[in-house]
This record gives sequence, structure tokens and C-alpha cells, in this order.
Amino acid sequence: MTNPDPRELPELAEFRRDTRAWIAEHRPAAPSFVLPQSFLEVETREQFDYLRAWQGALYRAGLVGFDVPREYGGQGVSPERAAVVSQELTRARAPFLVNLLGLRWAGPTILAYGTEEQKRRLIPPLLAADEIWCQGFSEPGSGSDLASLTTRAEPDGAGGWRVTGHKVWTTMAHVADWMILLARTGPAKYDGLSYFLFPMKTDGVRVEPLVKMTGEGGFNQVIFDGAPMPRESLLGQEGQGWRVAMTTLAFERGVEGGRERGAEDLALVWRVADLAARARRDGAPAIDDPVLADQLVSLWIEAEAIGVSALRMRVPGLVADRPLALPLMHKLVFTELAQRATRLACQLLGTEAVLWMGDQRAPDDGDWPRAFLNSYGFTIGGGTSEVQRNILGERVLGLPKSK
Amino acid sequence: MSATTGSMSLASHLPDGLGHTGDHDLLRGTARRFLSERCPAREVRRLAGDPIGFDRALWRELAELGWTGLHLPERVGGAGLDHLSMALVLEESGRALYPGPLLASALGALAIARAASGGQAGRLLPDLAAGRVIATLALVEGSSWELDAVEAAARPVEDGYELHGEKAHVPWAQVADLLVAPFRWEGGLSMFAVPLAGPGIEIEPEVSLDSTRRLARVRFTGAHVAADARLLAGGAVLGDLLAPALAYLAAEMAGAAGAALDLTCAYARERVQFDRPIGAFQAVKHPLVDVLIAVERARSLALAAAVALDHAPDQALRAARMAKVAAEGALLFACDRAVQLHGGFGFTWDCDAHLYYKRALASAATWGDALHHRRVLAADLRRLAGYAPRSGS
Repeated sequence: MTNPDPRELPELAEFRRDTRAWIAEHRPAAPSFVLPQSFLEVETREQFDYLRAWQGALYRAGLVGFDVPREYGGQGVSPERAAVVSQELTRARAPFLVNLLGLRWAGPTILAYGTEEQKRRLIPPLLAADEIWCQGFSEPGSGSDLASLTTRAEPDGAGGWRVTGHKVWTTMAHVADWMILLARTGPAKYDGLSYFLFPMKTDGVRVEPLVKMTGEGGFNQVIFDGAPMPRESLLGQEGQGWRVAMTTLAFERGVEGGRERGAEDLALVWRVADLAARARRDGAPAIDDPVLADQLVSLWIEAEAIGVSALRMRVPGLVADRPLALPLMHKLVFTELAQRATRLACQLLGTEAVLWMGDQRAPDDGDWPRAFLNSYGFTIGGGTSEVQRNILGERVLGLPKSK
Repeated sequence: MSATTGSMSLASHLPDGLGHTGDHDLLRGTARRFLSERCPAREVRRLAGDPIGFDRALWRELAELGWTGLHLPERVGGAGLDHLSMALVLEESGRALYPGPLLASALGALAIARAASGGQAGRLLPDLAAGRVIATLALVEGSSWELDAVEAAARPVEDGYELHGEKAHVPWAQVADLLVAPFRWEGGLSMFAVPLAGPGIEIEPEVSLDSTRRLARVRFTGAHVAADARLLAGGAVLGDLLAPALAYLAAEMAGAAGAALDLTCAYARERVQFDRPIGAFQAVKHPLVDVLIAVERARSLALAAAVALDHAPDQALRAARMAKVAAEGALLFACDRAVQLHGGFGFTWDCDAHLYYKRALASAATWGDALHHRRVLAADLRRLAGYAPRSGS
């Protein structure tokens, strides 16, 4: 089915056609092994190589980096084209871009705070997935209260540092070349933090896998034992780390394109609707059941609202009462929607909901219970839903802090 | 069509920027200032205690601002503005719980603008645009939300029609000069613009749950109307009125929900218990954030429905139904937390929460509640998912 948008300019429409055709022709064949559902679950070497090759191919075809200036290896800043690529990849249900941490969090942070040398050295291989990025923020003792972290970077006397400490929940650390590392360089809670671009392939770093409740890997602990870090690792100024990290978190929690976010949520809802039409409960199609259909309608309304809100957010006159509300609530809203949508999908499976991936008869390869359990990675990571509610209550509703 | 590719999102049918301009900003700002000065809560309460519940002087002022003709063509004295403009003004009126036939007359006038011949429109619309004449629309007859559940009938007589039947829950009929409503005629439905005076018309005010939207039962016992009271054939026109009716009502409700949220947050910032403002407690803070999420959702969808009426009319009815559902959810939730989080005070007459709550409950039951529209949307969804049910749905 084509989705012609009569308002799209001819050049953009042509770019869309070309992109769609390129994806159709060059997408990799479905692999023999199970692919991870998201970048959070990249575990095995073969999953990683497969996904990395795909991102590399996309980059060389000129389809990655529409938010990056050309001098840093990007395609030149064009949000319209970025949106088109994102929409077409979603539409084709193509494999995701594995260097997501690099593309969305590390890259934009480096572009915002980096020196020319840092940008030129690090951005091109990031876009090509030649160098993979991970994030070293959370620690066993510092999750929601990130600034309480204790991993420290101590001067080595030669202008660089040695890192000692323990990071946790580090996605893709096992395949990463670089880490955006938030570490302590001084005693003050916030002003004692500094932000580094840490080279992972060095001594004194041990990466140990963590297992998620789905049995999948992808997460790790990273233990630093005097790991060396050269002078040029510092991003921004020493003591500026918290401010730089807030930029990263803003990218992590923020809204990307205009319509594309709503398109992803709606695409999920329609996949669940499609499942409802196929799945049978008590001898009838699940979508026939008014109770289940009504829950689908709720999800549909919410997904449409997310799409419209992404447009409204850009019109100052239509958000004047509470200008921070929509951007600050975005992550909370779409992650909870995904959780409810995948939960409904499990219900639609009826008797077959008891099967897990690996069983030949598991509906949709066991995707739905796996996706539902994995949804907690998103309601917890990147700022828990509870913390998001605190932030919204305090910064948008003006309610006092809970302490 | 495969559901996995799905239908295009509502957002993708709307223009970037939602068609919003600086003029919309001015309009909304003026509306907010005017209503906060001229229609504060104490005025709403004063009118709640009034038998008619409507202030004609205030109506004349908002007519002077152009609100009664905002969406009517310039050639009849209106401002010729878009549905977004109407929605923004109605949102402000909802915030203020404005007690008056702004919504009712806007829809009555819209019905005439769409259904009338040039002559009829020329005769009726200028006075409506100027607010000299007040209209109201009986979109449904009373005991069903189905638009075609109409029993009231028009019998042709020598120089016009005789009307028989009853319309229940007609907004502001006791104040309106003109009722626009469907009547059975020649085996189908036709829209009529009926002057609400004269023999054979009985207007019986109902005791409304919501004092800010007075209702009446209008009974026709052979009331005679002139031939040109009949507008065009009604079925299609009536159907076309549902989208703007729901969109406008949803905008009003979204405005009220935002105000109810603001009321509760203000209280939560000031009320001190256990040595701190109660808003510091997460049991207060987190539910208010959930109300905020619902309010923003309702706001987005109400505006989307209005923008769809202007720019993507084939999406408008579905958008308007979604907007009504979201608005009901947001407004009822906002009111629920408003009462509960005001504690003992919230349970009393003196707290403004109940004013919003009554608007919420009555608006929910107007032109189809959330459950009603969700059922229609479920049928839509089944169709879009490529599913044909065995039994009708």
C-alpha cells in the first residue's frame, strides 16, 4: 500500500520513492537466528554483525546522518529527509540501526560540546557503525539518583586520567569501541562530575553480561580498575559533566521528528489490530470481542493523539499554557502505551499465550510476550516512569519537590 | 489493505503548524481576558442560582466581540473564520464554564448556513451573526443518540407545516429564538428552523444537572410554521453536523478539564498538611500528572478535529469522535481528582470542583458518550483491519 502525501514537495516525494526502492532492494535477508527486538537486546556476535552491516550499508547509500553537517560525515541537516528515512524503515519493518546510542545520544552530545578534532574523529565512524557506542551512566548504587555516582576519574599526572568504578545496565558494552562516561572528578555532588569519551578497548576494563528477565543479554556491567583515559577524552569542561549529561538525557527522552514518532506508535497499534483479526479466542476472531476491541480503540486514540501532539508541540500558540508539558511527557506516554499494547497482544493470543519463542507453534515467533516483558526496559530505563511523573509534577504543574 | 501497513495517521492528514496563525493567538488571548474578567467563578455561581441562568448583557458583549458570527460568512456579517478559531474560543468558554448558548447557537447557525437556501440564509443569518437572534440545535431527539431516531414530524398544510412531537434536552431552548431540528417529512428527514414562539409550542425547562448549560423539553402540538421554515432535506445535513458538534463540544470540555486541573494544582501548592504543601506528596502529584497527560491528549484531539474540519474533512468525523472520547476521559478524571484532592472542602458546595464536575457529567451524556463513540470506532477499526464480522457491528 502506498501512502502518498499530496502535500509532500516533489523532491521529497522522489527521495521517498528512491529510499523505499533502495530499502526493498538492499534489505538483508531474514537471518537464521533470532534478531533482537531492539538495541537493548543485542547479544550475540552474529546478531551484531548482521545489524552493523545493515547500518553500514545504509550509511554508504547516504541514508544515515540527516541531522549531522556534511563536514562531520553526515548528509547535511535535513529533518524532512531524516523523517522520510525513519518512516520508510518503519514501514518496511526493516532491521533497526544498531548504533542507536551513538546516533541518538552520543553523537548529538558530541556535536553540541565537542572540539573540532573530537567531532571530525568520532562522528563519521559513528554514523557508519564502524565504531559502536555505549553509555556509562547508571551504577549499582546510582540509578534514579544518577548524580550520586561514585565511579571516579583520577588524574594520571600526564594530563589524562585513570578510571575506577562500576557501571551497570550498559547496553552493548560488549561490542562497543567507545563509551560516553559520566564520572566523578571532584567531591561536589553535581559540580564534581565530568563527561568523558572513554575508549573501551583498553586495559583495566572488564565487561560482564547481565541477563534480562526474557533470558536475553545485551546489558552489561562494566568494571573499571585504573583504566587509562587520555587527555582528549574530556568532553566539555571538567566539572561540567552534569550539564552535558542533561543534554544527553534530553536527547534520550525527547521527541524526534514531527510525525514519525506518532507513526511508530500507530504502527504498533495496527500490528496489534492485525493480530486481533488473525488470533482466535474461544473459537472466534479476537477482534470480534467487544471488550478486546474496545481496548484496541483506546490504544488507537492514544497513538493518534501522540502524532497530533508532535505537531502541536511545534506551534507555540497551541502550547502556551504549559509549553514544557508535551516534550517532557513524551517518553512516559509512548513507553506506557507500548506496554499496554503488547500486554493486550498477549491477551489476544488466548490459549497460545503460554508459549515462548523457540516453540514452533508460538504465535508470531513468540514476539508478543517477549515484547511485553522487554517493555519494562523502556518504562524503567532513561528515567523511570515514576521519575518522569515527578519531573512533570514539579516542572510543569509547579508542585513542590517530594523531599 | 493489510493492517500491518495500517492506515495513515490522523496527524499525517493535517498541515504542519495545524493552520495556526498569529490571528488565532489574538483571538484566544482576547477570549481568555474577556472571560476571566466578565465571567469569573462567582458570576457562574450567581447565574447558577438564577431561574434562567443566562445574562443577556454579557451575551451582547460577546456578540460585539464577534463570537456569535465567528464562523459565519462575511457576507452575512460574520467574520468568516475557520473551525480552529471557533474551537479556540469554545475552549476558553469551557475553561470559564461560560453559561450561555454560545455552542448551541454556533451549531444552530452552522446548520442553517449548510442547509438553507440562499434566501433563507440571507433572511436568518445576519441576525444570528450579530447575536440579535439566538439559535439552538436539537441534534438528537432525546432518548437515543442515533441521529435518525426522530419521531417528531412535519405535516404539510396549506401555507406551511404543522409540527408534532417532542425534542428533549434541547440546550437553551428557554432562551433561544430559533430551534433548528430534524422532523420527519415525506418519508425522510428534513431540517427546520422553527421560531420558538406562538401557539402549539411548549417549552418546558428541565432541571439540568449542569446549571451552566440549561436544557428544555420542546413539545410541538400542531405548531404552524411558514413554508420557508423548512431547510433542505435533512439526512445528509444532519450527519454532517455531527463532526462539528462533537469537535466544538470536545474543545469546550478540554478547556474545562485544563481549568479543573489548574484549580487543583493551585490548591495542592497552597494547602499545607504534615508541614508541607500536599502537592509534595506523590499520591497527590502523580495522579495530577496523569490528569495532565489526559488533558493534553484531549486538547490535541479536539484541536485536530477542528483542523480536520478545515483541512481534511473526510477525517473529521472520526477525529471528532476520538476527541469526544478523550475529552470525556480527561474532564471526568480532572474533576474526580479535583474533588478528591480538595479533601473535605472538595465535597462542599463552596468548592468550585462540583461546577466542573456537573459540566463534565452532562457533557459526557451529550451527543453520544465515550462508550457510544468507542463502539462506532471499534467498527471502524475492524473495517480498517480488514475484518468483516459475521454479525453486524
